Amino acid sequence: MKLVIEHLAKSYEKKEVLKDVSFSFESGKIYGLLGRNGAGKTTLFNCLNKDIRTDGGSFYFEENGNRRKLQAEDVGYVLSTPTVPEFLTGREFLKFFLDINEKSIRNPKSIDEYFDYMSIEPEDRDKLLKDYSHGMKNKMQMLINIIAQPNLLLLDEPLTSLDVVVAEEMKQLLRSLKEGRITIFSTHIMDLALDLCDEIVLLNHGELESVDKSNLDSHEFKEKIIAALREVENE
Amino acid sequence: MNKTLRISFSLKNTYRVNGILYSLKQIPLVKKLLPQKLYGVRGLKIFANILSGLWELVSVFLGKLLYLTLMVAGMAMLYDGLPREAVFLHILLFLSVIGAFMNTFLFNPTKDKYYAMILLRMNARDYTLVNYGYSLAKLIVGFLPFAIWFGFRCGVSLWTCLLIPFFVTGLKLLMAAWTLRDYEKTKRATNENKLGKFLWITVFVLLAAAYGLPAAKIVIPAPAVQTVMALGFLAGLPCILKVLHFSHYSEMYRELLAQSMNDMDQAKAVIQNQSKQSISADTGITSRRRGFEYLNELFIKRHQKVLWKSTKRQAAVCAILTCGVLLAFYLAPEFKTHTNELLMSFLPYFVFIMYAINRGTGFTRVLFMNCDHSLLTYSFYKQPDMVLKLFRIRLREIVKVNLLPALVLGCGLAVILWASGGTDNPFDYLVVVVSIACMSVFFSVHYLTIYYLLQPYNAGTEMKSGMYQIILSVTYVVCFCMMQVRMDIMIFGVLCIAFCVIYSVIACILVYRFAPKTFRLRQ
Repeated sequence: MKLVIEHLAKSYEKKEVLKDVSFSFESGKIYGLLGRNGAGKTTLFNCLNKDIRTDGGSFYFEENGNRRKLQAEDVGYVLSTPTVPEFLTGREFLKFFLDINEKSIRNPKSIDEYFDYMSIEPEDRDKLLKDYSHGMKNKMQMLINIIAQPNLLLLDEPLTSLDVVVAEEMKQLLRSLKEGRITIFSTHIMDLALDLCDEIVLLNHGELESVDKSNLDSHEFKEKIIAALREVENE
Repeated sequence: MNKTLRISFSLKNTYRVNGILYSLKQIPLVKKLLPQKLYGVRGLKIFANILSGLWELVSVFLGKLLYLTLMVAGMAMLYDGLPREAVFLHILLFLSVIGAFMNTFLFNPTKDKYYAMILLRMNARDYTLVNYGYSLAKLIVGFLPFAIWFGFRCGVSLWTCLLIPFFVTGLKLLMAAWTLRDYEKTKRATNENKLGKFLWITVFVLLAAAYGLPAAKIVIPAPAVQTVMALGFLAGLPCILKVLHFSHYSEMYRELLAQSMNDMDQAKAVIQNQSKQSISADTGITSRRRGFEYLNELFIKRHQKVLWKSTKRQAAVCAILTCGVLLAFYLAPEFKTHTNELLMSFLPYFVFIMYAINRGTGFTRVLFMNCDHSLLTYSFYKQPDMVLKLFRIRLREIVKVNLLPALVLGCGLAVILWASGGTDNPFDYLVVVVSIACMSVFFSVHYLTIYYLLQPYNAGTEMKSGMYQIILSVTYVVCFCMMQVRMDIMIFGVLCIAFCVIYSVIACILVYRFAPKTFRLRQ
């Protein structure tokens, strides 16, 4: 399965944030999306998640030569600041989610199994989410986004503010989840992108381009990425 | 000095102009016509500058006019049987003392002071003295014409009228010098917006003296007030020296502004915290329902405090008021006829009352802050059928919450109508109850509909929709105007019921058509 984006464009008034984005993402891979501040990474994600209308172009899944549009349930979107309904407990949120998605979730597990899977301690499961720590909220958000096994997982700077242990757990989790889906991971931290991602994609001047890693060690690869980001800036 | 005045003027003007342009940008339709770089467009800037200049001019006089009309001369007219001159001066005296410490300019940590002294590092003393001088000059110029105008109408002599602005200024200077000296001693900066308990009590005592004493036929004789005014003016003169020679403006403002700018940053956090605190921590709250009904039931139960508790209180107040009126009928039967006449034509008035007690805006705000703000980031929550399913449940809930006081009020009015002598048409009773209930349903539908169609908040929980605010203001104005309408119960009631039903149907159709697309976080 592939996610194909063709000539996607989005402007805010006269500022063209996404000019002509065309790319083909393949399933089974984690893509690291790099770009400078204000390059439009979040705008791209918001377009794919249909939070904002696009001005032109299209995107679709392509499987065995068949095209289909993205549905809401195809996309999981994890934001950098975790947002969870504060008035529910972790268990209630999970139950609510499982209730209303019971038809679409394949092989559902028990609520506690899910908590175990995310290493959320038993004593925290019945606390109100408003009393959860940042890391735990992040885990809940991630959990909700992966239970439904979306075909496209968008992650907007998800690990930046986590402590090292939780960040490592999340990395492992993302690696274990990558089969059968497309994962796009936006970040400012190059080492994280190189460590976790199979491909590096740059968003610069409203366009996407992939960076070829062939025959480069990681230092040279970094230099190449920075040069590419700079070069386009200086054009 | 000149330069400082010029810089502080242009600074104030710049952000006022940008504020005007920003608010233009919030108006639907107008914002589409405005270019993206509007802050750099010369024509627009000139236009906003003219507005800003006009505002400066108006601000010199408007405040004084309103103050003297509403709080002094207007009030003085209300006391019959007392010498008007004395009442006018009596009220003015006490209010001026309050103003001397509640409206000081010097100890008001405003944004323009923050920009100038902290961000732009202007010399604190120069900046303060120039602007303080300007504000006092504005005060005298603004006061003088109205003091003469209102003073004459109340029979105050010319020289007293002329003394008024200088007395007020003198008092302010006196208070300023005293507060500055206090700072030198204690090193604690005074903030006029954060009065201590003692000062608040003083304010209330002074207010009571200003308006309460004349009601009890006690007024300070005019010659005494005139003497105090002259003394106040004279006492202010040496205080100018204190203000000029005070040498710690820089430290004082650093403290004052740091603390209040911190407050401003915290203001947003406070709103979020308030929403969070409205969540009940009672662990006994559970639900046996499933899916959205489960979500809704937990939401309602955990927000009892802001939803049901207040409407129950309103219902109780309505019931007690009804009993009070019935008791009054019993004690003073002559009260009945008048009430009956009033009730027969006062139904439109209740539109405003229903507007005032409706929990719709509170409900949608807490819905957003504690629920939709987070859940709207999940794609499952935004599926069209889910949005509509939850809309139905919420509509039912908000209607229920608001209907309780409405029914109590409606029934109470019907009973009062009956007890005050009744009406020829028995349908009037029914119309009263139903129309009040319909008003309540209307407001519930109205607020939830505009919330679903405009979803005015962004991910940072900031209100971002000009349209939403305009609709809220229009709602207020319309309801306010309804207070002026007098119409027969039957005619108004039937019109009102018809309007509410039609509006609700149209609103629901609009939500069904558009909400799946509009119910999103604003970007």
